[in-house]
Amino acid sequence: MKHPMTILLVLCTLLLVLSPAFAAGTKEEASGPVTLTFVETMTSPSRTAQIQELIAKYEAQNPNVKINLVSPPYEQADNKLTLMLNSNQELDIIEVRDHTVKQFVNNNKLVDLTDYLKTWDQGDDLLPLTMTAATTVNNTPYLLPQFFFVKGLFVRTDILAKHGFTTMPKTIEELYKMSIAITGKAANQYGFGFRGKGSAFKISDILILSDVDNINVDNIYKTTDGSFAFSSPAARKAVAAYVDLYKKAVPSDGINWGFNEQVNGFISGTTPFLVQDPDTVSMVAEALDPSQWTVIPMPVGASGKTYLDYGFAGLGIPSTSKHKDLAWDFISFMVNAENNADFCRAYGPLPVHTSTYANDPYFSSGVYKSWEIEMSNPATYVFVKYPLDNPKYPAWAQVQEQTMQSLLLGSTTVDQAIKSWEDYWK
Amino acid sequence: MERKFYRWMLVPAFLFLTAFIYYPVLRGSVMAFQNYNLFDLNQLRFNGFDNFKAVLSDPHIRFAQILFNTAIWLFGSLFFQFVLGFGLALLLKKPFAGRGLYTAFVFYGWALSGFAIGLTWAWLFNGQFGLVNDMLIRIGLLSEPIGFLSNPNLAMISVIIPNIWYGVPFFGIMLLAALQSVPNELYEAATLDGAGSIRKFTSVTVPYVKPTIVSTILLRTMWIVNFPDIIYAMTNGGPVNRTNILATQMINKVFKEYDYGQGSAIGLIIMILLFAYAMLYLRMTEKKGGDTL
Repeated sequence: MKHPMTILLVLCTLLLVLSPAFAAGTKEEASGPVTLTFVETMTSPSRTAQIQELIAKYEAQNPNVKINLVSPPYEQADNKLTLMLNSNQELDIIEVRDHTVKQFVNNNKLVDLTDYLKTWDQGDDLLPLTMTAATTVNNTPYLLPQFFFVKGLFVRTDILAKHGFTTMPKTIEELYKMSIAITGKAANQYGFGFRGKGSAFKISDILILSDVDNINVDNIYKTTDGSFAFSSPAARKAVAAYVDLYKKAVPSDGINWGFNEQVNGFISGTTPFLVQDPDTVSMVAEALDPSQWTVIPMPVGASGKTYLDYGFAGLGIPSTSKHKDLAWDFISFMVNAENNADFCRAYGPLPVHTSTYANDPYFSSGVYKSWEIEMSNPATYVFVKYPLDNPKYPAWAQVQEQTMQSLLLGSTTVDQAIKSWEDYWK
Repeated sequence: MERKFYRWMLVPAFLFLTAFIYYPVLRGSVMAFQNYNLFDLNQLRFNGFDNFKAVLSDPHIRFAQILFNTAIWLFGSLFFQFVLGFGLALLLKKPFAGRGLYTAFVFYGWALSGFAIGLTWAWLFNGQFGLVNDMLIRIGLLSEPIGFLSNPNLAMISVIIPNIWYGVPFFGIMLLAALQSVPNELYEAATLDGAGSIRKFTSVTVPYVKPTIVSTILLRTMWIVNFPDIIYAMTNGGPVNRTNILATQMINKVFKEYDYGQGSAIGLIIMILLFAYAMLYLRMTEKKGGDTL
């Protein structure tokens, strides 16, 4: 045989190149422990550690089950999960978010959880909002929500006191007035923790549309009589007021502020007001002394109400799972009142059981009292939905960001901006 | 007999290329003509040039602006990367004390991920706490901080600067290697003929290094056009679409809007533009020929 070493080298390379084809993995044994694969997507190091703790607790109670946790990095996790589902990988428990549930259901990737929920002894303890969130798509529960992200107003009470303010803003108008009054550009002191990029509409929509009286709760961009929400005179005024807030109470850099910059502005005191979700609490608590800050319920708009979007994430069972009943057993364990409360206490967002708010002092006192108020006064704090199942929704963030930035920089007028939004949603 | 054997030896390499390069390119090109949207894969069909039409005539994200941005991004980064890289290579050619350590420090930037570089520089350019603002104020060039990344006219320059910092090591390394291959006898001969340093540079150094210059510039062009990481981390294409390049728009389409069809269309456009550029570029640089004195 000529050149035996070369032939050997060629064969090895060939095998190496073809090896991905054999990477499908071996089938599970029929006997022995069952392994469930759990993919999380809102990955953060501290959160993953907490999940591991809960998994260890479950495995101790169920020695025949092993849970394999997959934690892709946060920025790519949703995409990774989508690709895993579309290539029909065997997954058993997945983290489903408000903006991914529709897509998963469209592609037939999720199991209907109705029967499981019916026979669950804690099913009745879930908040009405939990069931609303669970049945977002086709009025069918395709996920069991684990937490809610609802905006609250973080306030630097010490900075407010320094400028002579001892009462908290109850209306959006008051908030704007205080922000502008506190601003002193020479001293690098500004008023409002602006969000300029990266789903900025989630914050601007609350502040602007809360002035409109008859928003449709099923679609924040429509009023109850079917017209486009931003076209009403009240919204028009509110958009102009929002631009005014940017010009007078926000550093010009605010157009480029994302989450990190917002939180940084709050912690450094440059912007004493911050509209954010409860998972920001732990970040702020680590950096500031409790006497320096608090959280109050979102101020109301000219309509006397505040329209709040509720972000949520929960657990679902992929249709390709071979252990659906067991997956549900684990899910109902993770999201039972006790574990859910523990998890939320450590991670920050709002829990999903009614009993937690009633019995757990952590969630009904201190800064969380504000969210408890928001969750239990539906006449004032109205929960609304975004048109998540409209195919135009995914592209909206970029479009809104462009027009809003253009508006804030003065290259567009309020009327032109509103018209382009109206045209977009037609 | 031998020839046939060598042909067989190429098979693994060919399979590798097919699997990891040619197949994905083919797949992506097909997707550009389908309404491949992860939002709803049930209605997958070919939609002709709809994706291209949508991308080219988007009323909110103007394509002309994106092309313009890409051109500025490319030429702004490339020019300074090349000039500074070449300068660096010339400086490092002669040995001096601590050259090895210095080289390591300077080339460190190349080892970092673009996203990490973008995040760091975003803080450096921050309008309230950024180091750049602080330094400029201290040395008296500014009286109050500017929002570099929020000013539509300054944002592109602000993202190009980290890209220059990142790309200089590449040119530095490649050109240094090329410079070190120039035989010393030629310089001696030139000195004997009475050539000054500038003449030596233009008549000895540059022609010798020419092939390396040609290939590195071509490579860097491809890589810069396909490098969205820094922009993505610093401004995400804003403000008002002024730092949005073809590659960042492609990322937005795919990862934020789940629209693989339009994303692939943009990818195909990038490929066609780069291919045309490469053909033109090679034809232009071929005529002059690689001199070997």
